[in-house]
Amino acid sequence: METLRVHPVANVLRYLLLIVLAVLFLVPVIFVAFTALKSKPELLTRPFYAFPETLRWDNFAKAWEQGKMSMYMKNTLFICVVKVPLGIVIEALAAFALTRMNFKRSNGMFAFFLVGMMVPMQATLVPLNIFLNKTHLVSTYPGIFLIYVGFGIPFGILILRGFFRTIPKELDEAALIDGCGDLGKFFRIILPLSIPAIATLIIFDFMATWNEFLLAQIFITDDTMKTITTGLMSFRGERATDYTLLNAGVLISIVPTLLVYLIFQKYFVSGLAGSVKG
Amino acid sequence: MILRTLKPWLFLLPALVIYLIVIFFPSLYTFYLSFYSWNGVSPNKTFVGFQNFTNLIMSDSVFARALKNNLIWTIGSLIFIMGIGLVLALLLNRKMRGRTLFRGVFYFPYVLSGIVVASGWAWMYNPTQGFINKTLEALGLESWTHAWLAEPKIALYSVFVAALWQGVGQPMVLFLAGLQGIPEDPYEAAIIDGAKRYQTFRYITWPLLRETLIIVVATTMIASMKVYDIIYGMTGGGPAESTQVLSSWMYYQTFRFANIGTGSAISLFLVVITMIVIIPYVFYTTKKSHL
Repeated sequence: METLRVHPVANVLRYLLLIVLAVLFLVPVIFVAFTALKSKPELLTRPFYAFPETLRWDNFAKAWEQGKMSMYMKNTLFICVVKVPLGIVIEALAAFALTRMNFKRSNGMFAFFLVGMMVPMQATLVPLNIFLNKTHLVSTYPGIFLIYVGFGIPFGILILRGFFRTIPKELDEAALIDGCGDLGKFFRIILPLSIPAIATLIIFDFMATWNEFLLAQIFITDDTMKTITTGLMSFRGERATDYTLLNAGVLISIVPTLLVYLIFQKYFVSGLAGSVKG
Repeated sequence: MILRTLKPWLFLLPALVIYLIVIFFPSLYTFYLSFYSWNGVSPNKTFVGFQNFTNLIMSDSVFARALKNNLIWTIGSLIFIMGIGLVLALLLNRKMRGRTLFRGVFYFPYVLSGIVVASGWAWMYNPTQGFINKTLEALGLESWTHAWLAEPKIALYSVFVAALWQGVGQPMVLFLAGLQGIPEDPYEAAIIDGAKRYQTFRYITWPLLRETLIIVVATTMIASMKVYDIIYGMTGGGPAESTQVLSSWMYYQTFRFANIGTGSAISLFLVVITMIVIIPYVFYTTKKSHL
């Protein structure tokens, strides 16, 4: 309906504006990619906007090895692969209790969890540090998972509770008649029906965990356990002058998020849209 | 009967225990610590009352600067990140060729980590080889070149531009979602009544977008209060503490200078300010979900 009213000139202007903005947006990415593919002398002698003379793919291999990126990527991937499903199961169990178990304090408990979104991470760091030191969990996987799962709980419950509420109650009654207990309801009805919400949460959680910096900076002190963001920071410090390698490293580090984003782009936007509509 | 009342709690238990350990009790303990002077190692903490707070307000010029920077950041985000996000959403809210591609281009930076954005943009701003100064030189505008991240007067704005690049995709997507929720009937009625383009925006789109706007304003303000990664990654709070924000100054006070009480007091400021922003939002969401 609306498209009928658009003046052709307005349409051309809209495209022009969008193209200009898109090019501006892509400039940093292209500049980083060009740098990553050049040799060090070429960086100094040829114009900055020039396409690389020969594509130096070996920069990526060097960054991968010298920047210890294989180690950092493996660590981060491991944390994501454990943390994301673990967190979602814990959040889903709680969201199930809050929405399906006729339980008096469910709204109060939901509000209590939601308060967690108000608390900036910074306000918990010192006590958490003391706690982890006392329990000898600093720089250990149980400690890391505990903290990462903890900070994911308010958002996870918010999203899953929102979705669980939209599943008709009649299904619960049918399940009851068929002799399903609460666990049966949870695994056989609610979880399978919630795949879109869970997919959205997996994507968000994967990205948030992959990109996390502050917690890793403070609670992962052992270099062999560092994640990609903290690893990239130390990589920058150590070879501040080798920009070809640094930029190659930056590009390598975004490959997993880029893949997840491209594959799940549809879910990503619809999931966000869903969270707006509550 | 007992089992029936206990059962929901069994399902809640893992989430509740972790939440209490990681978020709830630590927040309370930070509140307690903000009244003490402590270096984090010594067995003795000295009770100092409100001294940490009064010191911050009265005599810590970096704290004042950090507070001001957070404020600048918030206002800048509300005007530019949200504004450009809205404009992009309006431009892309109709069926047109390449729409998905454009959306992808503008949203893509948002999926990158603050540290990646910081690395890329620090290279863009590199004084001798960076894209920005090189471009200015190529255009004959040598006098416009700067050491973008090393000059106290402009460093914060340089970092903000990187954050803008990273952040506009988020409000864009939220506004797009909001725009798609607006029914077409009022527009049809308005066209029949002879409404102009800007009038349909002013009287239909804008009021119906209010719900989305509340959410975007809240999330933008919260993100501005928490900003950390990109600033730490690009300038580390420097030069001359000119880009410190509350989060980074809290980090330095606590983990670099071992002033635990001061750091705790800063994070309490952060909690209070964030709460002022988020409480109306939480009320709004919980109220809505009762419907």
